[in-house]
Amino acid sequence: MPDPRQLLSAWPALAAALAAVALLLLGLWVAGGAPGEAAAAAWQGAFGSWRRLAITATEAVPLALCGLGAALAFRSGTLNIGLEGQCLAGMVAAIAVLVPLPPGPWACLAGLAAGALAGAAWCGVAVALERGRGVPLVLSTILLNTIAALLLGALVQGPLQAAGSAAPETAIVPEASRLAILATPLHLGALIAVLIAVASWLVQTRTVLGFELTVAGLNPETARFAGIPVAQRMLTAALGSGALAGLAGAIQVAGVTWFVSDGARSWGYAGIAVALLARLHPLGVLGAALFFAALEVGARTLERRMAVPHDVGVMVQGVAVAAVLLAGALSARRRR
Amino acid sequence: MNTWLPVLLTAQALVAATPLVLAGLGELVAERTGVLNIGIEGLVLAGCLAGFATAAATGNPWLALLAAVAVGALLALGFGLLTIYARCDQIVAGLALNLVVFGATGTAWTLMQDHGLTTMAEGVGFTRGWCAGWGRDLPLIGPLVFNQYGLTVVVAGLAVMTAWILARTRLGLVLRALGDEPDACAAAGIPVRRWRLLAVVGAGAAAGAAGAFLATMRTNSFVPMMSGGLGFIVLALVMFGRWRVGWMVAGCLLFGLVDALQQHLQAQAGANRIPFQLWQVMPYATALVVLGLVRRGTAGPLMLTKPWG
Repeated sequence: MPDPRQLLSAWPALAAALAAVALLLLGLWVAGGAPGEAAAAAWQGAFGSWRRLAITATEAVPLALCGLGAALAFRSGTLNIGLEGQCLAGMVAAIAVLVPLPPGPWACLAGLAAGALAGAAWCGVAVALERGRGVPLVLSTILLNTIAALLLGALVQGPLQAAGSAAPETAIVPEASRLAILATPLHLGALIAVLIAVASWLVQTRTVLGFELTVAGLNPETARFAGIPVAQRMLTAALGSGALAGLAGAIQVAGVTWFVSDGARSWGYAGIAVALLARLHPLGVLGAALFFAALEVGARTLERRMAVPHDVGVMVQGVAVAAVLLAGALSARRRR
Repeated sequence: MNTWLPVLLTAQALVAATPLVLAGLGELVAERTGVLNIGIEGLVLAGCLAGFATAAATGNPWLALLAAVAVGALLALGFGLLTIYARCDQIVAGLALNLVVFGATGTAWTLMQDHGLTTMAEGVGFTRGWCAGWGRDLPLIGPLVFNQYGLTVVVAGLAVMTAWILARTRLGLVLRALGDEPDACAAAGIPVRRWRLLAVVGAGAAAGAAGAFLATMRTNSFVPMMSGGLGFIVLALVMFGRWRVGWMVAGCLLFGLVDALQQHLQAQAGANRIPFQLWQVMPYATALVVLGLVRRGTAGPLMLTKPWG
């Protein structure tokens, strides 16, 4: 169980993020590359123009929503590692609703709602297994991730496959049912993510529910003693995090891809890392999601211009999480 | 040759179970000492790449195995220092380890492709059938024992040895006590953190070797993310086995059997009407169902995931 105190401790995550990037540039320098040039190229790729900024922000939307879900779950001590599967469930439900419904904003809304519900339901399976049969959430959600990915693959080749198509792809969402575009390619989903982050922060800091969730995560014994229905609160957090992951998938379908195909994605896994980097702070999640998205987009630019494999972005993400973890642990040790 | 179907499926299940048991033994011992490593998935993947790259570059399967073991142990050492000495959260550190390895192997693989290191020379990897000649044609024992990978036999020996050490020796008592009563261990003069680190590094070495098995024995190739959740399955199987070697191995064999069965069914005529993913989902769904059916209330090591000191 992650100790929330350790995750919430006061060291700035910014230092960890910068340390990770610095480490990468150092590695590049050791390997005989040009770190300055690489940093400039990645920066330009991620933030160089309004258009690049919009691309980065678009990339950040699913990361932010999954990150908010992970933050909600981890804050209350619920180990939901299954955001990836819940996100996929959201994509499937959204496309299943968006394509057949008569096009229009209501269809879009229904699609997003279906995505959130499917995400919550997929997480609900894991919660039911834990409550009913004592299967730890960590294990069931991990297995359910793989199962969701395989089922998605089967569905886009079966019932959800576009009529007359040979490729494992669904039909395309009608134009009227898509999320409105704010600044190509940024869509309305970005606004939704920001609103949810702010709402989540307000709930956490200003309401009884938020307080109870945090206490349940910090110390379930104390919470129980204080009369907080810990099991209920954890259920709320688990289903809420599943719904957010499902919404992330649905928004991605309604705003960016407009169809679902069989292929690798990892917003759910990355979302967990985003939440940890933000030390579970809802507003911090927005910043961490932008950082992760910038790494992703910047690394792709780097690959095009300097033949640096784009996977280094993922490596930096991992190092950043380890660094923030270490910083938190060290400062926790100092205070003991 | 014996072609009776159950024997064929069991022989295939032994192949599928080998990396699971190997990585599972290490993880089981590490968890018994109180350390849960979710990063085992990354360790297996790192072993795949290290083993494959070494085999492709040197053409020596022993060096490949050694490299995979070394890389797995080294990464686990980093994880152990973070979690055991710096008291970082084990689950988060494991997730970070996975991310680092996913990124690093992807990067390394792209670089290897640029340098043309994408295939192993013919006949470099260890092949199936460690016992040459007539032994493989024996009924029953032939396919089940002699016509297996050498590593499978070694792993079977390791499993017996680990079970014996854990249950019957002083070392086993210490290992078990580390996860249940680290304070008592410390009082008895046992360096808790050093022993835990040793167990974690050993588990890393085993996971690396499991990766080498995937990349240089079962298939002679590397594919990004080729571990495909094997490490996660191992975590589930250790828990399914209630941290006992015998039950864990039984779980691995069951998983291997379901996997062999689904592959067999998939190859049957008419099976292609059902999407292949529905076949592939069978082992995972079985794992989930079996986990649900296990008797409840058996807690693992008391101090699992709790830092000491």
